[in-house]
Amino acid sequence: MTWRRPGAILFLLACLLAASIVICTLVGPAGVPLFSLPGDNSGATILYGVRLPRVISAVLVGAGLAAAGVVMQGLFRNSMADPYLLGTSAGGALGAATAIVLLGGAFSMPLAFAGCTGAAFLVYGISRRAGRVPVEQLLLTGIAVSMFLSALLSFLMYVSGESLHQIFLWLMGGFWTASWQDAWTGLLVLPAAVPLLLLAREQDILSLGEEDALSLGVDIELLKKCLLVTSAFVTAVAVSIAGSIGFIGLITPHIMRLWVGPGHRILLPSSMMAGGIILVLSDTLARTAGNEVPVGVVTAFFGAPFFVFLLRRRYAS
Amino acid sequence: MIDVSGVELGYGAQVVLSDVSFRSGKGEFLGIVGPNGSGKTTLLKAIARLVAPLRGVVMINGQEIEVFSAIGLSRLVGLVPQASAPGFEYSVRDVVMMGRYPHIGMFGGETPADRDAVRKAMEVTGIAPLADRSVREISGGELQRVIIARALAQEPEILLLDEATAHLDLGHQVSILQMIRELSRRIAVIGVFHDLNHAAYFCDRIILLHDHRILAMGDPAGVLTEENIARAFGVRAMVRINPLSGRPVVSPVLHPSCEAGKDSHVHVVCGGGEGAGVLVALRDGGYRVTAGVLSLNDSDYLAAEALGIPCLTEPPFCPISERSRRDLEVWARDADAIVVTRGPWGTGNIENLRVLSALDAGAVVIMGVSSWDGRKWDYTGGDAEKILSSLKEKGARVAADIPAALGAVREITGETR
Repeated sequence: MTWRRPGAILFLLACLLAASIVICTLVGPAGVPLFSLPGDNSGATILYGVRLPRVISAVLVGAGLAAAGVVMQGLFRNSMADPYLLGTSAGGALGAATAIVLLGGAFSMPLAFAGCTGAAFLVYGISRRAGRVPVEQLLLTGIAVSMFLSALLSFLMYVSGESLHQIFLWLMGGFWTASWQDAWTGLLVLPAAVPLLLLAREQDILSLGEEDALSLGVDIELLKKCLLVTSAFVTAVAVSIAGSIGFIGLITPHIMRLWVGPGHRILLPSSMMAGGIILVLSDTLARTAGNEVPVGVVTAFFGAPFFVFLLRRRYAS
Repeated sequence: MIDVSGVELGYGAQVVLSDVSFRSGKGEFLGIVGPNGSGKTTLLKAIARLVAPLRGVVMINGQEIEVFSAIGLSRLVGLVPQASAPGFEYSVRDVVMMGRYPHIGMFGGETPADRDAVRKAMEVTGIAPLADRSVREISGGELQRVIIARALAQEPEILLLDEATAHLDLGHQVSILQMIRELSRRIAVIGVFHDLNHAAYFCDRIILLHDHRILAMGDPAGVLTEENIARAFGVRAMVRINPLSGRPVVSPVLHPSCEAGKDSHVHVVCGGGEGAGVLVALRDGGYRVTAGVLSLNDSDYLAAEALGIPCLTEPPFCPISERSRRDLEVWARDADAIVVTRGPWGTGNIENLRVLSALDAGAVVIMGVSSWDGRKWDYTGGDAEKILSSLKEKGARVAADIPAALGAVREITGETR
């Protein structure tokens, strides 16, 4: 959109993001003075050992979910699509639950990651016919695979006994155990976003429809493969850090599309920043005002009504 | 440039088209017509490589279409699909700029040449004023022009149009097809048409598809014949040559054909286009209708011919010959009723009225007397009016319009529906 100032919007979002990171790091039940004494170790531990990794994880997970949301919505040509359409959410949950039940919680992160990506590849594999992957097929297969994996998850929960509470906490999603390891893992979102940004023009063209894109010279099957792999990877990183946090990947691209237009070159980075801001604010709200309720509760509490609002607005037009 | 040979197309086991072969190239506007489901769009998609042929090959510039990369092919072939529904609110300019992708490529940036091509494409399609509007808030016809502009911005060597002007108003249809015809002097254009007359008017050559194959191929007048149209579309049509373009014009004939339901014979004396309406009404009424004597270049003759009504004729601009006069007498005596439309009467056809003056005036219906609207109709210096007046005096009926004339004919013949 030429009549808006994309550079200014990106700069504004970057400032907001930086401010959110600083504020959210400083806010918390244990009051830590802004400039704590060099010798004051407990304050520094809370800031650098607890809050900062948690804030960074939340920002990166939010950015990753928003990026995957943008990609899925463009791919499905539907602004109601979200990153979990490919069964990633159910797959990740199943992986984590397996780790909790069978391994006592060890390796829950890699198993969640494996579950996410495994589900996505399963959906992709089932949908593939003669080298082509029709998006309707992907959508419906995603639903079927999600339901199947959810059934397995329910069975696992049923037989889990004492670890049920742990599975339950994982399912609600959150950052209360976030460590620097999570924050470093979250950084994987950034390199994964590079191909998505480089393919911005192709994603714009793909959202006109597959035949149109094909006749304009876009190698759509290769593009879809790239987009699916990358967004599944990003989603898997997010889910393995914080569980399936809802609505960030759905609402953020939607809001940003209203603001910066549908062009992926701007939509993608601005959605990533906005996703980071929204999730870090939600998490801060969750751990302070909400007395450590899972952040998924906060995003759903605000996200679901907003989604209904968007749906109605869309229906009205 | 395009060489389609022995192509068979279909989806799964169902064959849509088989044994399709033709060539086209730069400088030609080739039209594809045919009934719904005859495979027009599929054929176009095969040339755009959106559908793979079951058999046969499509070659472009001497190379099989399969060997091109996606982007390589898109530099050669541009497609305007039947319907396009943008998923998001891109601006018109953004969508037209997407047509430059074949030239920009994956990691390139827009150059002034790209912006120039986009601006030109928007100008010739008349969408420049909409450049900043969202493609989701413009009308269907405007969107169609955006998609045409996108294909033009692509600057292909072969432009494929799938009913590209179907949603446009008449003005835009004509201006865009005109522009595309001019463009086709420099590139190859293949267009699927629903409107046979647009195809006939703008295309150099037409392919008519029917029953899974090519029924006819060639210049418009050779392809769009009454026989071919009846076979392909199952519709009786009248094909005439448009005097301005020299191209055929197809109009469907909607009146029940030839079978006369009634025994009564009605002869119509008409001319100058005044008789066509009565001929249609009498034919629809089931009468055995004849007409004449008419000049071969009279539109009433064309109407009678299209309706399959027997007609006495004279060559253009010739007076009524002695032979025609005698034939008219025979036909008129045989007729149960005779309808005389309002003029114009001149020295060329006054003989028609003279013949009638000798007959039983009770069988004659004279039309339009009460509504001459001040139009001159008697070019015989009063002779025609004299004959008609005397017929009226001798008991000829007068009818102001076609329903009244039908009523009078019904009275005379005593036949009701």
